[in-house]
Amino acid sequence: MANLMRTSALVGALVWSAVPALAEDINITVWAGGSNDSDSYRIEAIEIAADILEREYSIWGEEVNITVEGRRDFTGWDEFKQGVTLGAEAGTAPSIVVTSHLDIAPWSQAGYIVAVEDYVDLDAWPLSNVYPNLMEIASYAGAQWGIPQDSESRPFFYWRETMAALGYDEDQIDALPDMVASGEYTLANVLEDATKAVEMGLVEEGYGFYPRPSNGPDYAQFYQSFGGQLVDPETGKLVLDVEAMTEFYQFFVDAVAAGVTRQNHIGTDWNQWYNEVANGRAAFWHGGTWHFGRYATEGNDDFWGTIQFSLIPAGDEDGRANTITHPLVYLVMDQEDDRIEEIAAQLVTIATEPRLNSLHAIQSNHLAVAEAQADIDLYRGNRWASEATEVLLASANAQPNHLDYGAYSEAMFRGLEAAWTGVQTPEEAVAEVEAQMRATIGDQLIVR
Amino acid sequence: MTGTPRIWPLVLILAIFSTPLVIMYLYQIIDSVASPDPGSLIPGELDLSNWRFLWERIDSGRPTIWQVTFNTFLFASTTAFLVTLLSTTAGYALSRLNMPGRPYFLGGLIILHAFPTITLIIAIFIILQALGLFDTLLGIILVKAALELPFGVWIMKGFYDTVPWEIEMAGVQDGASRFRVWWELVMPQVKPGLAALLIISFLSGWSEFVLPLVLAPGSSTQVLSTFMNAVIQDDATADFGLFKAIGMYYSIPVIVIYLIFQKQLMNIYGGGTKG
Amino acid sequence: MKTRLLAFGFLSPALIAVFFFFLLPVLLTVVFAFTNMSTSTGIMGGAYQINETQMGSLRDTEVSPESIEKLEGAGYLISEAGLAALAEEFGEDTAEELRDDYLGETFAARRDLERVLRNLDDPIRNTRDRKAAADLFVSTVIGERFDTAEDFRAALVETGIDPADHDLLTEFAYTGWTWTTANFSLLAELPSTMRYASNTAFYVVCTLTFNILFGLFLAISTFYLPGRLANTFRAIWFLPRILPPVLYVLMWNWFTWDRGFIATVAGWFGAPQQNWMLHTSTHAWTAVILINGFVGASLGMILFSSAIKAIPTSMLYASEVDGANRWQQVRYIILPQMRWPILFMTSYQTLSLLTSFEYILLATDGGPGRSTEVWALAAYHTALNNYGGNLQYGLGAAYALALVFIGIALSILYLRFFNFKELLSKPRIEQ
Repeated sequence: MANLMRTSALVGALVWSAVPALAEDINITVWAGGSNDSDSYRIEAIEIAADILEREYSIWGEEVNITVEGRRDFTGWDEFKQGVTLGAEAGTAPSIVVTSHLDIAPWSQAGYIVAVEDYVDLDAWPLSNVYPNLMEIASYAGAQWGIPQDSESRPFFYWRETMAALGYDEDQIDALPDMVASGEYTLANVLEDATKAVEMGLVEEGYGFYPRPSNGPDYAQFYQSFGGQLVDPETGKLVLDVEAMTEFYQFFVDAVAAGVTRQNHIGTDWNQWYNEVANGRAAFWHGGTWHFGRYATEGNDDFWGTIQFSLIPAGDEDGRANTITHPLVYLVMDQEDDRIEEIAAQLVTIATEPRLNSLHAIQSNHLAVAEAQADIDLYRGNRWASEATEVLLASANAQPNHLDYGAYSEAMFRGLEAAWTGVQTPEEAVAEVEAQMRATIGDQLIVR
Repeated sequence: MTGTPRIWPLVLILAIFSTPLVIMYLYQIIDSVASPDPGSLIPGELDLSNWRFLWERIDSGRPTIWQVTFNTFLFASTTAFLVTLLSTTAGYALSRLNMPGRPYFLGGLIILHAFPTITLIIAIFIILQALGLFDTLLGIILVKAALELPFGVWIMKGFYDTVPWEIEMAGVQDGASRFRVWWELVMPQVKPGLAALLIISFLSGWSEFVLPLVLAPGSSTQVLSTFMNAVIQDDATADFGLFKAIGMYYSIPVIVIYLIFQKQLMNIYGGGTKG
Repeated sequence: MKTRLLAFGFLSPALIAVFFFFLLPVLLTVVFAFTNMSTSTGIMGGAYQINETQMGSLRDTEVSPESIEKLEGAGYLISEAGLAALAEEFGEDTAEELRDDYLGETFAARRDLERVLRNLDDPIRNTRDRKAAADLFVSTVIGERFDTAEDFRAALVETGIDPADHDLLTEFAYTGWTWTTANFSLLAELPSTMRYASNTAFYVVCTLTFNILFGLFLAISTFYLPGRLANTFRAIWFLPRILPPVLYVLMWNWFTWDRGFIATVAGWFGAPQQNWMLHTSTHAWTAVILINGFVGASLGMILFSSAIKAIPTSMLYASEVDGANRWQQVRYIILPQMRWPILFMTSYQTLSLLTSFEYILLATDGGPGRSTEVWALAAYHTALNNYGGNLQYGLGAAYALALVFIGIALSILYLRFFNFKELLSKPRIEQ
């Protein structure tokens, strides 16, 4: 519909002033992926925005009734994406989706989504206040497709008690984030300390380093830790750094060999995982900023007294300490009726108001998307939000919006899984990943 | 039947093999009403909170259990009815009516009977979409019914084959049309087949998972299998007690049908079926 | 004649259903296997667009450098034609002001022009109007989406690009799917193909063997047990067959997970807590084969039981009188009678095991490390379910097509093998 927009917007502009107000009923459906009760504001913010927008229209002299219908009961991300794409093909797509920024490339190419910039002023409040790097993450091929809905990052965690038993004093533990950032404390140290922790019986075997149990952007961080680059800034092509990839796989294989990570770790039940890391069964692990709230519900009331966090440490001197932010974005989906797209774009804009976005950020332990949120009491009063923003967000990078990144990340994780579980050696796994990527990504891939 | 010199070793071996299943069944029931602590197998106190899904929503984003149950029932019963109806007529035609191309229809039926249907799901999606039936109950009902048809026709043909020709001959000689002969004389003979087919297709519809998962992902079309799977996969609410309670609830009709029709079910599945 | 009419009347509803959901899908699967259809191409055809990130690959084509330069340089041009239109819509004053300051200038992005329109002395205040006004000056095709080739070509003409390049550009800009045989060369090239194929073979052979051996064992052993005991065991082994897969696999998950039954019992003996289904690929295969095997064995049990019941009891008595022991009875009387049921079971289950993935999907989802990924599951993952979100329908269809061929070939083989003529006994009334 996008190319019809030009004419219809023009017609709309003329109609705007010419016709007396008629009551208009607009149905907006919002689908949010990967959301549970604590993420309810992904949808509720749109409901609140609808109320505000109705009032604005009414003062303007138009009667617009907006009904918002939300849905977030998807089994998982896979099912959500499957539902959205098949729905878009069938013409039953929702008006707004909350999803990963990585979906922008394929979905815009397929024409499932429309660029929000076609409907709203990016230079006006509140969009002008959104962090520019986050706006960048929600754009692709020169167009602003979406609006960041939340931000987060994926830190490395330490159990303070275990660290103390390993011989680190209070100050040293407090200084860990800085040591990691400067490259003094690396993944090699992690492996060493984790092995010691297991040997000393501080944690059980397999609990020295306790990674995320399923596929996710987190694993790209370890590739970066060893100096790997996801995308070539010059050409915009994806990069497979064979050496970094091998070292990254080798790290996990070494961890298994040292008995600090279980060979069958992938596929561990998430609930069990949360419960264990929240209560100190693991020495080192990595997770997301939103885990903060989850640890409390798992019975850890004293996050600050028990857990330390930092960037993901560098793997070796070639690499760097890093963290990936994986913001979700509001996207407006292509509709028969351009008016629905327009209202949807206006709604996501209003939902980006610092006050509204802070509701979500604090309830779900995510980070802010706009600068002004730091001035909202609700946000500023939250120690986790402020400190995590400070320690992590500054060094955070995102995965590239690229048509083939899905295939890339899928291949990378499959290779890791094969090496980790001992099905292949790291070298074999990387060779297969390379073959797989060359075949599926072709000339959009640079192999180093 | 024959003498029983040493059946106990046999019983012992069978019992050993059956233990895992028996344990699973047993704890399926126990855990749904009393969760033991993790790491212990002794049931705790009676605890009905696992059944809370009946009176409240587990997560406010999900549809109520009643709507889901209704969907499942509608899906399973309509499918069963459709399959039985179409199989009854088609089975008769293939078994008893002379027509050109009958060998090909029969041959085709056998191929379809054993055909890998689920691999066609991508194409089926596109057809549903073209018909405007994607993400509707009607859509998955039609697909499920069509996929069950070869099996149904096969079964019904088998039942018709056992009806003595003499019955029809007599009818035809009395001057009744073939249609009347079928309706008034043959149908009463295959009633057990009808009942069996109805039951089996109902059970099959009740258990179906992949079709609704892919072809009807919307919340208004959720059925118990996809609902239960979604609850299990959700990492925010997970306890096996809850899952098992939902599982108990989900399997009640299956167990009831099994207890009533045990014998018939065994017989019909013995007649050659999907595995 | 009447009979024929009746026959077709009776058959046609089933035929229609079979046509729509069997034959048509088979044909479509063949068609899709020869396309590059995916999420990004869409299913129902595409549109025409060239965006900024594609400019790089445009250089690799034969489009002339001048055209590419022209494409890149274009943007929002303040032209007299645009100004005239602007004057008509938004008043002379606005147009005049824009003409004075910016005539002949090109803005790379609409956003830049919008800023200008917003900051005029007499600004266009409404966002929607401002966008409409900016669009009056568009002279680029980059980043624009056109529904038809004609629209795209028309826009190319307007931007003044060498007509010689129009065909190439239109082809390049098409976002929909195209015909290709790349799926098959990709399958031949990927190392995973062989692995999935051998996984599948392993899975089918093992499960089938388990089904038949264990089904036979169940059938024969329950045959020798007194009625009540036999029924109890039959009931235990029949349930997996009719329980919903989601529930059945849940019971297995509970049985094998880190704090499940096996782990707890093993824990009493000091074994470390571990997931008994996903610990290694051996564990996973054992679980997958048992989960499917228990379901299949119950089918075997039922089939074989009814075949044993069909053996005349006199034969069994006679053998006992002759002094045959249990084992000899099984070996020389029962087993020979099982030939056809076993053959049926083998042929039938080979097909259904080849293509079924429901239980594996629910249990291991192909893990750990893709070690239990079978062909049918790979087709499902490729086409309908992967984390990256780029669903590859074309490649998935190519996977499925292999199974479709095997399915048809095996079915026809069985058809010849099992006495087909027997089924064809002619209806007797007409003769």
